[in-house]
Amino acid sequence: MDKLMRNKKAIILFIAPALILFTAVLFIPVCKAVYYSLCNYKINYQPKYIGIKNYVMLFTKDKTMAIAFRNSMFFMVFSIVTQLVFGLILAALLTNIKKGRNLFKNIYYLPCVLSSAALGLLWMFVFMPRLGINQMLASLGFFNGDCTLGPQWLFATDGYIILPIWVISFVALWQYVGQSMMLYMAQISGISSDIYEASYIDGCSKKQSFFYITLPLIKPMVATAMSLNAIGSLKFFDLIYNMIPEGFLSHKADVIATHLYTQAFKFSKLGYGSAIGVILLVLCLIMTVIINKFVKTESYDM
Amino acid sequence: MKMKKFLAVCLSAAMTMSLLSACGGSAAAPAAPAAEPAATEEAAPAATEEEAPAAEEASGEVQEITFMIWDDLEASEDLITKGYKNSVDRFNKDFEGKYHCTPITTNLEEYYDKLNALVAAGDTPDVFIASPGANLNDYAMTGVAAKLDDYLNADGWKQTFTSDAVFAGGTYGDEGGDGPGIYAIPLNIAAACVFYNTEMFADAGAEVPKTFSELLDACQKLQDKGYTPITISAGTAWCLSMVAGYLCDRNGLNLQDIKDHKTDWKDEKVINAGKQIQELSKYFQKTAAGDDNDVATAAFYNGEAAILIQGSWAIGQINGSCAEGFADKVGVFAFPAVDGSSADPNRVIAKSDSLCMSATTQYPDAAVQLIKYFVDDEASKYTAEVGGKIPVTNVQYDEKVAPPELKYVMDVFKGASSTFGFYNESLADTEAGSTFDNCFVEIFKGEDPATALDPIEDYYEMNVWE
Amino acid sequence: MTNTMTISKEKKEARIVSGFIYTFLVLLAIIYIVPLLWVVITSLKDDSTLMLSPWAMPAQLEWGNYTFAWTKGHLGTAMLNSLIVCSITLVVSMLFGSMAAYAIAKLRWKLSKLAMYYFLIGMMIPIHTILIPLFVQFSGWGMSNTLIGIIIPYITFSLPITIYIMVGFFEGIPNELFEAACIDGCSVYKMFGTVAIPLAKTGFMVTGLMSFVANWNELLVAMVFISNEAKKTLPVSLTKFVGPYHTNYCQMFAAIMIAIVPTIIAYVAFANQIVEGLTAGAVKG
Repeated sequence: MDKLMRNKKAIILFIAPALILFTAVLFIPVCKAVYYSLCNYKINYQPKYIGIKNYVMLFTKDKTMAIAFRNSMFFMVFSIVTQLVFGLILAALLTNIKKGRNLFKNIYYLPCVLSSAALGLLWMFVFMPRLGINQMLASLGFFNGDCTLGPQWLFATDGYIILPIWVISFVALWQYVGQSMMLYMAQISGISSDIYEASYIDGCSKKQSFFYITLPLIKPMVATAMSLNAIGSLKFFDLIYNMIPEGFLSHKADVIATHLYTQAFKFSKLGYGSAIGVILLVLCLIMTVIINKFVKTESYDM
Repeated sequence: MKMKKFLAVCLSAAMTMSLLSACGGSAAAPAAPAAEPAATEEAAPAATEEEAPAAEEASGEVQEITFMIWDDLEASEDLITKGYKNSVDRFNKDFEGKYHCTPITTNLEEYYDKLNALVAAGDTPDVFIASPGANLNDYAMTGVAAKLDDYLNADGWKQTFTSDAVFAGGTYGDEGGDGPGIYAIPLNIAAACVFYNTEMFADAGAEVPKTFSELLDACQKLQDKGYTPITISAGTAWCLSMVAGYLCDRNGLNLQDIKDHKTDWKDEKVINAGKQIQELSKYFQKTAAGDDNDVATAAFYNGEAAILIQGSWAIGQINGSCAEGFADKVGVFAFPAVDGSSADPNRVIAKSDSLCMSATTQYPDAAVQLIKYFVDDEASKYTAEVGGKIPVTNVQYDEKVAPPELKYVMDVFKGASSTFGFYNESLADTEAGSTFDNCFVEIFKGEDPATALDPIEDYYEMNVWE
Repeated sequence: MTNTMTISKEKKEARIVSGFIYTFLVLLAIIYIVPLLWVVITSLKDDSTLMLSPWAMPAQLEWGNYTFAWTKGHLGTAMLNSLIVCSITLVVSMLFGSMAAYAIAKLRWKLSKLAMYYFLIGMMIPIHTILIPLFVQFSGWGMSNTLIGIIIPYITFSLPITIYIMVGFFEGIPNELFEAACIDGCSVYKMFGTVAIPLAKTGFMVTGLMSFVANWNELLVAMVFISNEAKKTLPVSLTKFVGPYHTNYCQMFAAIMIAIVPTIIAYVAFANQIVEGLTAGAVKG
C-alpha cells in the first residue's frame, strides 16, 4: 500500500496538469506584471525599463490614484463593518424564527448568485437623476413634486466620500450580505443546543446567550467572512463599471480596479496599469495577513 | 529513473495540452486568419474595377475581409449606422463569391481599446472606422494604417469628392509610416451647431444670437418665460467638451501653440472660456451634471428645453424619433462669437467618420472596394437625405427629401471659414482629451478655472512638453 | 394565578417581538424582490413611456424587447458562449483540481505540503494583477478573441479553491478503504476513480457550483479578452446595451431579464442545495 502511494510517476501525473497550468497562467504572469510595472510600456510598442518611475508617479502625482485608493479603502471598511453587523443580525434573527426561515434565507441570498453586471445596470437606472427613485419620491410628494430637485445619487461629487460611493456601497451590501449571513448561520447552527439549554437553566436570557455564547463561538467565522469581504471589496469592479457610465464624474468614483482598467485598456498604458495591479496584489496580501493575525482563529470544541 | 521522471512530466504536459486544445477546438472556432504581414501587393486597384462582380468568376477562394465599426450594425437605430450596414450588405451581395466582408462591432466607448487589442494581436481589421485625431495619427505613424494616395489617384476616385479639403483630417505621416499622405477616407461630415426651438424663442421674444452676450440675453428671456433655456449633458463628456472647445476657439486659442508650448492651459483665453461656461451654466437644466446625452437630448425633442448644442447627427434623430411636426419648429444657428475677441467667429467644429485600411491586409483590393461602397452615390445620397450629415462627394441629392434642418446646417457649414475638430480628439493623446473634458466638467460644477485647469496643465508638463 | 399571569405576559411579549422580527424580515424581503419585479415590468414597456412614468405598469406588453435583445443584441449567442465556457471550465477544473488534491491528500511525497501552500497563495492573487501580462501573452499567441483564451484563466482561477476543498474531502476518506482496494489489486489510478471520486461527490457539487456561478458572472477578463460579437459572454454582451449616443433602456432591461432568469430558475429549483453548497465552499475557503 505504502509503496503504491509513493509511486513517483503517479504523483507527477496527478499533480502536473494543475501545477503546470497554475504556474504558466498565474505565477509567471505575476512575475511578468512586476517586470512590466517597472517599464514604460504602451500598447503596440516594446516595453522599456524605467525603474520605479511608475510607482513614484502613482504615489506622488496621480490624483486619480489617490481618489481610487481612498474609495477602495472606504469600500473595504464599509463592507467589513456593515456585512459583519447586518450579517450577524440577520443570522441571529433567522435562527430564532420558526416559520419561513428557509424562504427568507433564500430570498436574501439570491442576489449573490446573480450577475453584478446585470444588477449594476438595474441600479444605475434606479438612481438616475430624473427617473427611478427620484421620480417615485417626487410622485409621493417629496422635493415639492419635482424630481429634478432630488439628490443626484450617482452624480454628486461633494464631500470626502462622494454620494455615489455611498450608494454603490449600499448596493454592494444589498447584493452580498446574504453571503455573510449564511456563513454566520452555518456556524451558529453548528453550535450544540446543549450549550444553550445549559445557559437557560443558569438563567440566561436569549439576548445574553447571544452575546456570551454565540458571538465568541463564531469568532473563527468572523475572520473568514472578514477576509472574504476585504479581498472582495478590494477587487470590486463590476458594479462600479456598470453603475457609473464611462466619463461621468471625472474619475471621482474610481476604485483601484477601475483605475487599472482605464489606464491599461483605455489609455493603453500597460506598464502603468501593471504597477496598479501590483499594488492591488500587495494590498490583498496585507489584508489577509492582518485579519488572520488580529481576529484570532482558534476554534472551540463544539 | 531520471528518464522515467522526464517522460512522466512530458506525458502529463502533453495531456494538459491535448485537453486544452481539445476544448479549444470545439469551443472556439479559429478567429480571423492570423494576419501575417503579407507583402502588400501594389496591384492597381483599377484592375478590379473592370472585372464584373459576378459570382462565377470567383474560381477559387472568396477573399474574406473584416470591417470594424463602433456601433452594432444589426441592432443600431442610428440612421447613419443603418446606412453603413446598407453599404456592407450591398458590397457582400455585389461581390458574392469573390469578396466577403464580416463586420466586427463594438460600442463606441470600447472601440479604440478593442481596436488596439486587435492590432496588438496582429489581427488588425482590414478596414476600420476612425475619427481623425490623435488616435489616427498613431495608426499612421506606426504602420498600422495604409497610405491610400495611390488608390485615390488611380482611377479618378479622388475627383468624385467635393474638394481636396475633405481629406485634410485624414492626412498624416510627417513623422513616420509611409511618409506624408492620406491615410483615411472621410465618409461624411457632421458640423456642430446650435439647434433651437423657434416656437419658444418667439414666445419669449428672444432673437437668434450673434454674440455670446446675446446668447446669454436670449437664455435669460427664455428662463423668465419659464422655459429651460439649454439642455446639455455634462455626464457624457464630449457634449460639454464641444461647447468648451467652441468657447476656447472663439476666444482665439490655437491648439498648435499649446502643443508647441508657446502658451499653456492657463492662457487667459482658456480661463475666459471657463468663465463663460460658468455664466452659461446658469441656464442649463438642473440635472445637467447627471444626465447622459440621451436624457439631455430627449429634453429638447420633448419640447422641455429651448436650445440644444449638438452635432448635425441630431437631425437624423429629430426626424427619426420625434413627435410629428416637431421638426418644423427646429431652427439652427452657428455658435456665437465672443464679444471683444478678435478670433474668427466663422470657424465650425466638424467631425468626419473616416475609413482606414490595414497596412497588413492580405486583400487590399477587396478592402478598397469596400471603402468605395461607403462613398458611392447611393451611400452619399443616403447620408444627406436620410442621415442628415453633409456628404463628402459630388452627389446630387434631393433637397426636398432631405430634412429641412440639413439645409440650415449646410448654410452654417458653407459660411464657415474653416473647420476644427472636437477638442478631446484633437489633443496630444486620448488621455489628454479625457483630462481636458474632466477639467471643464469641474469648471461647470463651479471650480475656479484658474485651479480647475491644473490637471491638464500637469498632464502636458509631464507627457507632452519635454 | 400569578404564575399563569407572568407566563401569558411572557408569551405576549414573545409574540410582539416575533411580530417585529417578521415585519422587519418581510420589509427586507420586499427590498430584495421589488427591484427584480421592476425589471420584469420595465422590460415589457417601450422606451418613451418609460421616460415619462418609470414606475407605471406597461400599457401594452412589448415582447419585441425580448426578441430584439435575444437576436439583435446577440444574447442568444452570448448565452451559448457562457454555457460553453462555464461547462468546459467546470469539467476541466474539477478534473485537474481533484487530481492534484488526490496527490496532495493521499499520495505520499515530501513536497506535498509545499505544493498545497503554492496553490493556496493563488487564492490571494487578484485576477486584475495578471490581466495585463495574460492579455499581452494571449494576444501574441492569437488567443485573444477566442473562448479558449478566457477558459484557461477561468480554469486556473477555479483551481485553488477546488484543490483546497477537495483535499478536505479526500482527507476525510478513511485510509482503510484505500487499503482494501489495494488488497483487491487496484492500481493507484484505479483507486482514484473507484474510491476517491465516488466518496467525494459532495465536494464535487460544492466546487462545481462555486466555479460555475463565479465564471457565469465574470465580467473583467471576458471584457478585456473578447471584442468579437460572436464570442462575447453574457455579462459582456449586457454592457453593450448602454450606448454613448442612444440607450434603449427597455431593451436593456429585457436583456437583464434574459441574463438573470436562467440563474433565478435554477436557484428557485435548487435554492437549498445551492445556498448550502456555496456556503460550504466559502466556509472551507
